[in-house]
Amino acid sequence: MSASITLFYYLWIAPHVLETIILFAMVRRGLHRQFPMFFLYISFEIAQCFCLLYVSQYISYFSEVYFQVYAVGLAISAAIRFAVIYELFCHFFRRYPAISGAGKLLFRAASLVLLLTALGLAVSAPGNAPAASLNDATYVALKTTTFAADRAVSILQGGLLISLFLFSRYFVLSWRSPAFGIALGMGTFAIAEFANTALRLYVPFSNKLYDRAAMGIYHFCVLIWILYVVRPEPELRFELRSLPTYDLEIWNQELERLLRQ
Amino acid sequence: MTISLILIFVALLALGLVVRLAKGRASVSEVLQNPNEHLQSVDVEAFRNLVDPGEEEFLRSNLAPAEFRRIQRERLRAAADYVSCAAQNAAILLRLADAGRRSPDPATAEAAEKLVNNALRLRLYALQAIPRLYLGMILPGVRISPVGIAERYEQMTRLVVLLGCLQYPTRGISAAL
Repeated sequence: MSASITLFYYLWIAPHVLETIILFAMVRRGLHRQFPMFFLYISFEIAQCFCLLYVSQYISYFSEVYFQVYAVGLAISAAIRFAVIYELFCHFFRRYPAISGAGKLLFRAASLVLLLTALGLAVSAPGNAPAASLNDATYVALKTTTFAADRAVSILQGGLLISLFLFSRYFVLSWRSPAFGIALGMGTFAIAEFANTALRLYVPFSNKLYDRAAMGIYHFCVLIWILYVVRPEPELRFELRSLPTYDLEIWNQELERLLRQ
Repeated sequence: MTISLILIFVALLALGLVVRLAKGRASVSEVLQNPNEHLQSVDVEAFRNLVDPGEEEFLRSNLAPAEFRRIQRERLRAAADYVSCAAQNAAILLRLADAGRRSPDPATAEAAEKLVNNALRLRLYALQAIPRLYLGMILPGVRISPVGIAERYEQMTRLVVLLGCLQYPTRGISAAL
C-alpha cells in the first residue's frame, strides 16, 4: 500500500474512530442531553463512514453507487448540521433571555442574507468540466450538484456561526466550553469546506488533493471537538466570597432603598 | 478566476475572524481581576443635558442656523462618546456579573442576573442609539431621543453597587468597581 493510499485511509477512518471518544465523553459528562443534535451528528458521521467503507470495499469501488450513497449521506449530514447550529443558538440565548428576541431576529436576518448570497453564487458558478474517466453524464451532474449544494450549505453554516460569534462578542456573552468548541469546530469546518469547494469549482486541479485537504480539515475539526468536549470546564480565577445571612438581609434592604430613589 | 480569488479571500478572512474571536475569549479573566482599570467614568447628568430636547430647542431659537448645526453636531458627537463609554462599562460589568451568576449564594446570583440583563439591554440600546446619534450629526434637525439610555445606565449602576456589596460586604461599595 503506497503512502498516498495509507494517508487517504488514515484521513478517512481516523477522525471517525476519534469521534467515538467524543460520543463517550458526551455521555460521560451528560452533554448528550444538552446537545442532542450534535450527538446525533457525530453518531451519524460514524455510521456514514462505515457504511461508505463497506460500499467501497464490497459493492462498488468509489464509482457511481458509492457517490450516490455519499451524496445522500452528505444531504442528511448537512441537515443535521443546521439542526446543530440552531441548537447552539437556542442553547446560547436560553442563558440570556434579555437578548433572545434580538438573537432570533439576527438568526432570521442572517439566514435570509446568507441564503440569497449562497443562491447567487450557486447560480453564477461555472459548470464542472467532466473528468476524462467519467463518461456518465448523470454521475457528473450529480457530482456537480452535490458540490454546489455543499458550497451553499457551507456559506449558510459558516455565516450563521460567524454571526453568532460576532453577536456574542458584541454582547460580551460567555460561552460554555463545549458549546464554544462545537461552534468553533463547525465554523472552521464550514468555512474551510467553502474555500475547498470554491477552489475545486473555479481552479480545476487535482481532485485527489482537494479530497485530502477536505479530509484533513475534518480531522482537525474533530480534534477541536475532542479538545473542548473531553476537557473539563476551566474554572474562573474570579472568586466569590460566601456571605453570612445577616449581611445579605442588610444589603437586600439597601437594594430596596436604592431602587426606590 | 477573479471570483475564485474573492471567494478564497473571503474564506481566509472568515477563518481569521473565527480565530481572532476565539482568542478574544481568553482575555476575559484579566478584566474580571482588575475591572477598575477598565471602567471609565460617565456623567449621566451631562449626557442627559446633551440629548435634552428642551436644550436643543433653546439653542435652535437662540443661535443662527449654521451656528446651531455646528454646536448640535458637537453635542451629538459628545453624546455618542458618552453612550460608547457607557456601553464599554456595561461590557465590563457584564463580565463581572456573568461570573457572579455562578455564585453559590442565591442573592449574589440573583443580583448578578439582574445586572446581566440590564447591561445587555444597555448594549442593545447603545447599538440602536449610536447610529441614531451619528444620523443626527449628519442631519442636525432630526429628532432623537436616547434619554432612556441614561435611565438604564443609572439603574445598572445601582445594581453594580448592590452586587459589589453582596460579594465584598467588609470592603464597601468600591470593591464592586
